Amino acid sequence: MTWLLRLYPARWRARYGEEFSAVLASQRASVGLVLDVLGGAIDAHLYPQIQHSHSKPIQEKEEDTMTLLMLQRCSAGGPKLSRRDQRIASLFMIFSALVMAGLYIGLTKIYHSAPAVQALFYASVPALALIYGETAYLRKRPWLTQAFILGGGLLGLYLFMLAVCVIGSRL
Amino acid sequence: MRQTKDDAELDDFGRFSEPALLILVSLAEEPRHGYSMTEDIEAIAGVRLGPGTLYGALARLEARGLIEPLKSEDRRNPYRLTTLGERALRARLDSMMAVARTGQRRLASA
Repeated sequence: MTWLLRLYPARWRARYGEEFSAVLASQRASVGLVLDVLGGAIDAHLYPQIQHSHSKPIQEKEEDTMTLLMLQRCSAGGPKLSRRDQRIASLFMIFSALVMAGLYIGLTKIYHSAPAVQALFYASVPALALIYGETAYLRKRPWLTQAFILGGGLLGLYLFMLAVCVIGSRL
Repeated sequence: MRQTKDDAELDDFGRFSEPALLILVSLAEEPRHGYSMTEDIEAIAGVRLGPGTLYGALARLEARGLIEPLKSEDRRNPYRLTTLGERALRARLDSMMAVARTGQRRLASA
């Protein structure tokens, strides 16, 4: 189970990793435990508390996780987000959620439970996470790059869900 | 709940508000490390905090100076309440008790 620790930011692991592992090892493996650790990892990436710590600064390790590498590769300003970046990304995500909800309601009225409509429903949650991440981390990139990566990601996600729904409807 | 300035230290914790309060209550007795906290919290409140929740709340409490780590020989780092943490906990418990007393009084007179 301690492999789950790899999902946390390197800086966070350098500070809490050992004691976190000790607590994790003491608990019985369950779906709830995995979800709790996943939620904690997402929180640690979105709201890193380490940099505001009152305790002595932790020496940053040059250790890269897959998550960090992905974030660094597609971000202009590094994986750390300012409060402003987070706020803008959150607002954009909320706006997108409203647009998708409206779109889904409208399409359901016309096409009922067609696979294309179902795919929109299933794709909406990962799409919102994608929108938040891309909006936050690509904000300093040219708008064309942002549109290409975000649009491509959303299109890929929708097509995947559409394929799943079409296959599911024929089984 | 009416808030004081000290009480407001526990604001902005989002879903970590309740775990943070339970951690402060646990540390009010003595310094504890993570595992000891989860055991103590389970005993006093009947909830077992997962490590993700526990350390999400611990990191916030430490970042705001409400708790501080103590030096440890092994990998289990103990924490203790700071003066600021003690004031924040006292203020929050006072406001909770005021609400509880009002509720009890109103139920008694209903």
